[in-house]
Amino acid sequence: MTSQELMDRLKQRFGEAIASAREPAPGAVYLGIAPQAVGPIADCVSNEMGARFLITTGTDERPLPEGGFRVSHIFSFDQDKLFCILQTRVNGDDPEVDAITPKVRGAMWAERELFDVVGVKSRNHPDPRRLLLADDWPAGLYPLRKDVPFDIKPEPDFSARPQLAEPPEGASVLPIGPFFPVLEEPAYFRVFVEGETVVGCDYRGFYNHRGIEKLGDSALTYNQVPFLAERICGICGFIHSTCYCQAVEQAVEIEVPARARFIRSLMLELERVHSHILWLGIAGHIIGFDTILMQAWRIREPVMWLCEKISGNRKTYGMNLVGGVRRDIPKEDHEEILGVVGKVEREMAEVIGAIVGDTPLIMRLKDVGPLPEKDAREICVAGPTARGSNVAIDSRIDHPYAAYPEIGVEIKVQPGCDVLARTLVRLEETMESIRQIRVALHEMPDGPIMARVDAIPAGREGVSVVEAPRGEAIHYVLTGDDNHLYRWRVRAPTYPNLQAVPTMIQGQQIADVPISIGSIDPCFSCTERMEVVDTRTQAVRVFSQQELLELSRRSRR
Amino acid sequence: MLFIIGAGALNLFIALGLSPLYEGIVRKMVRARIHSRTGPPIRQPYYDLLKLLGKENLQVAPGWLLTLAPQVAFAAVLLAALLVPMGLHRSPLAGYADVIVLIYVMTTAAVAVVIGAAASESPYATIGAGREIMLLLVAEPVVVIALLTGVVQTHSLRLSTLAEWQLAHGLTAPTAFAAVALFLSLQVQAGKLPFDLAEAEQELVGGPFTEMSGPRLALFKWMFWAKEVVFASILTAVFLPWPHIPLGLFGAGALAAGLAGTLAVMVNLVKILVVVALMGVVDAVMPRLRIDQALNYFLGLIFVALVGLTLAFVS
Repeated sequence: MTSQELMDRLKQRFGEAIASAREPAPGAVYLGIAPQAVGPIADCVSNEMGARFLITTGTDERPLPEGGFRVSHIFSFDQDKLFCILQTRVNGDDPEVDAITPKVRGAMWAERELFDVVGVKSRNHPDPRRLLLADDWPAGLYPLRKDVPFDIKPEPDFSARPQLAEPPEGASVLPIGPFFPVLEEPAYFRVFVEGETVVGCDYRGFYNHRGIEKLGDSALTYNQVPFLAERICGICGFIHSTCYCQAVEQAVEIEVPARARFIRSLMLELERVHSHILWLGIAGHIIGFDTILMQAWRIREPVMWLCEKISGNRKTYGMNLVGGVRRDIPKEDHEEILGVVGKVEREMAEVIGAIVGDTPLIMRLKDVGPLPEKDAREICVAGPTARGSNVAIDSRIDHPYAAYPEIGVEIKVQPGCDVLARTLVRLEETMESIRQIRVALHEMPDGPIMARVDAIPAGREGVSVVEAPRGEAIHYVLTGDDNHLYRWRVRAPTYPNLQAVPTMIQGQQIADVPISIGSIDPCFSCTERMEVVDTRTQAVRVFSQQELLELSRRSRR
Repeated sequence: MLFIIGAGALNLFIALGLSPLYEGIVRKMVRARIHSRTGPPIRQPYYDLLKLLGKENLQVAPGWLLTLAPQVAFAAVLLAALLVPMGLHRSPLAGYADVIVLIYVMTTAAVAVVIGAAASESPYATIGAGREIMLLLVAEPVVVIALLTGVVQTHSLRLSTLAEWQLAHGLTAPTAFAAVALFLSLQVQAGKLPFDLAEAEQELVGGPFTEMSGPRLALFKWMFWAKEVVFASILTAVFLPWPHIPLGLFGAGALAAGLAGTLAVMVNLVKILVVVALMGVVDAVMPRLRIDQALNYFLGLIFVALVGLTLAFVS
């Protein structure tokens, strides 16, 4: 199906309800639709035509000539390499639009968030509780509305509590979170158990909400945002800066030089390698197998050193700008890169062999945390979580970007629908990434790494996806005046994947809950320096990495 | 009387003073090596104990059970240490207590853990205590059957008689079954992987010990390390008492007997080290099993132990 066929089919079916249809850049169809038609059209696109729901974006456009609030539901036709963006406009201070969640299960959180941040209420939403804002954030204050300043600080209210579901009759509550040993960031799973069996769960998260979108579309300029975007994630930050830059590049039609595209792909794959190996270690730790943790992280470490050599930093490379990259990868470094990935490949092959033949380990992974293909499709999970449930999606193939058309991607799909399947997908992808790194180095063309970027016009929209190690990240931008974005929307891959956790742990044993949560690879972050406060003098001393290393080595002898 | 005091002091020294050393050696030489790590210093477990014992004793829940439970568990393991020979041919309290008492005393330690968990009023501790009880119900029979195998063979309830019988008859098939079954159940007695389900830090935040801190936690930790050594001693001194070092090895006289006794104790210490090192290897190369998987495993193990017992009856 081409974009023209898509527009024609929908126009034919819904007629007047579709006010406008345009394709400003190839691969993205924007449909302006009447508010009352949102439900039926979303239903048709999702359930009849087989599109996958990605995310919803609300934009406060009251200061613009069009006025009102714009609600955009972003869908993806993976087979046809098409985005379909359903846009509608609602007016008033308490705007409402029909919820699509009753028809599109994956939109559950997106519509809750829509109300939280811009105050557009979804009518007939099955679960309209607060999702994203803190429990003591004042009702009626919508942070992404343009009349709310980015540095607003409402009075804290320490008596505020989250609205959480009560356990069913006869079940008791096992709190997993807000701080829990194997969840390295705050998240609260309120798990309902009968004995050792899980009978339900409720979730409260977003404790780390930092207002990044607000900062990006109010205080920062186009070329400052990539550095903020990279700090969204502590492991796979590069995917966010790449995704943002691609969205802007698509919106204003900037042609990125081929060499820059190859460098992006190369860094993305290096990031996938170290992220997947990191995950393997964490997964081992979760089921008590610390040998996997230690060995996996030992194997991973040279990749971090390599990234430091290329970019100046183990993590948060700061290499992306709108129009290309800031750092080249000179010929002299190629051999070292090949050496490091070659060693990782050899060692990972040994690890994979050991894991596949380890019966007790397989016992802990097989048939654990089941996510049937049907649920995976309905919840619209992404990445290895989807591919482990036999859903063959990979944005490197479905919406090609960077140098992937040249490098090629072999998609790794497993039919097991359990933790073992997700594990195998990640292990195979690690090896595939190493192959891609080799091809990228071999095929990398010479030439500039930065395109010329002129003043960016206002009112342009762009959608971009990047296949992060955890699944696809989505960035949507709407350009504004004075070198500033008007709206920036980010969806990280854990967003849909977390929504699948209740399905995974339903009816499982308590022992399988942590590894099921871990199997979607929720984001972790880590600090590399720490502060020590002397309680007597209140003096703050910051240890450098070198000093810390020396201290830890001394204490071990 | 002199023997009771001397041997008692020796056993308590091994169970209390040396068990952290064993833990340290296993952490540094086994776990850390398998992990490709440098590992903490061997004396780290002593530091851990000192640090914890020096901390404030927080009362996290009302009631005196919380304080009593670690003390009972600790005392029970100390008493058990006096009931097991550790290198010398008899246990310190050999004349006063037999196998049955030993089984009761060891069970008391496990029950105290459960009681402490129940008293701490934490959901994690409750679930951990439930798992502890389930494991207790399947792991304890293995120990009982293994000891019974010896009892049936020797017609005696004394551990020292059991050891003497082994020395006289050599390794018999029933004993081999019993020894293997006992060794395979050691992991659960010591709270080690793949059977640290009760504690299960990644699932239950420490299970029964979630609310334990300071001196209470120290007692529990020490108790587990001592328990590991005591159980390893049952295996090395009762079921595998080779090489035999008779007191008359270096000839007659008090000095020669003392030398031979010292050598016997040293040899046993090395044997214990081999056992705990093997346990450390298992601990490092296994994931944690689920409770249903663990129960299945122990049902199989009970069967193995029963085969040994049946053989003992037949022969």
